Amino acid sequence: MREFEYYKVKNLKEAINLSKKFGKNKRFLAGGTDLIVRLKDNLIKEENIIDIKNIEELKGIKEVEDEIHIGSLVTFSEIIESDILKKYSPLIVEASKKVGSPQIRNKGTIGGNICNASPAGDSIPPLFCEDAKFFLESTNGSRIVNIEDFFKGPGKTILKEDEILVKIILKKWKENEFGFFNKLGQRNALTIAIASSCIKIKKSDGKIEDIKISLGSVSPTVIRAKKVENILRGLKEYKKDEIIKICDEVKEEIDPITDVRGSREYRIEVSKYLVFEALNNLLNIRG
Amino acid sequence: MKKIKIDFILNGVKITDEVPANITLSEYLRDYLKLTGTKEGCSKGECGACTVIIDDKIFDSCLILIPEVDGKDITTIEGISKDDLTPLQNSLIEEGAFQCGFCASGMVMSLTNLLSKNEKPSLEEIRESISGNLCRCTGYKKIIDAVIKLTKAII
Repeated sequence: MREFEYYKVKNLKEAINLSKKFGKNKRFLAGGTDLIVRLKDNLIKEENIIDIKNIEELKGIKEVEDEIHIGSLVTFSEIIESDILKKYSPLIVEASKKVGSPQIRNKGTIGGNICNASPAGDSIPPLFCEDAKFFLESTNGSRIVNIEDFFKGPGKTILKEDEILVKIILKKWKENEFGFFNKLGQRNALTIAIASSCIKIKKSDGKIEDIKISLGSVSPTVIRAKKVENILRGLKEYKKDEIIKICDEVKEEIDPITDVRGSREYRIEVSKYLVFEALNNLLNIRG
Repeated sequence: MKKIKIDFILNGVKITDEVPANITLSEYLRDYLKLTGTKEGCSKGECGACTVIIDDKIFDSCLILIPEVDGKDITTIEGISKDDLTPLQNSLIEEGAFQCGFCASGMVMSLTNLLSKNEKPSLEEIRESISGNLCRCTGYKKIIDAVIKLTKAII
């Protein structure tokens, strides 16, 4: 592994100040499940590694009135075991179960998954369905950013040089809300998504009152399929042929690449059926 | 490169050392301490051969930078029993669960961790517990059978 300078910081202020000092020439070490692999592959040019793992302000899952605050250092195992999240935000729990392996889930953090900004990040599609907000802090103070404004492309976010993701803010689920996450990979464990979809539905009187659909691994960032959402909103009758036709519209909203995991054409075709499969799990589709 | 001071417990023994930060726990175990029971396969957290138990959870030791172990309590395959093989290891041997054996210590660590929390795991829980451990001889069935046989014996 290449050489670097290692710094262990104790609190947020120290992390931000050190990060300001190094500017672009630093990387944060949270879970490290991506960073350490990239260090070994000599893909990290930055010379300073700031280990933020001991910062208490970045830990824990808390209920705050009608919100849930997830610290950026919370691991996927902690998410899966969280009674608060199981009760009030089950989609992020389901998605976290699909991350890597037990070993990876014990180390990888939700904040690391978000800040790496991979279009295949497993925790990101549910966060789009939840309209998550990110609490960021820098030497200039703090700000809250909507998830839709956060990602700029593969590996790119709006985070400033000395800015750190402190926590993820979600709204608690209401009684009439339902969701489904599905990830298509070559196998169940230790796989990077070929494509994934996540749906959150609010039903009232058998009608789709509101719906949010997000897709991973089929665009430069995770995206919301808002055109399909708009067609589905208000729908009362769920006929199979019609629903598949609506799901086909998702091809207008995605822009996948061809890589070792799958071709552009395959991803476009399979996205339609991932969305259909999710809807089929949430609605009483006939015919 | 500047050395980092580390203090941790390894297999019940307190270790204090000064090491460069750019080595992993698996490299430290194998190259510095000559504890070669922990195997390193893929070096990127995909095969689980290097699995160790840290504070009652399993981790890929190839994905841990050595400064990260400071203050931790680590168990490797060398530390799971004081003298004899464990009942789990005996059951794996009786079932002929391993062929080449490269995945064996990682599998044993994941299963040891499972059984320490859950004496009677379901088939699904056994499968889940070793989902981060690859066996390229594809001998999963006999590994799982060995655990089922052992846990039934426990009842």
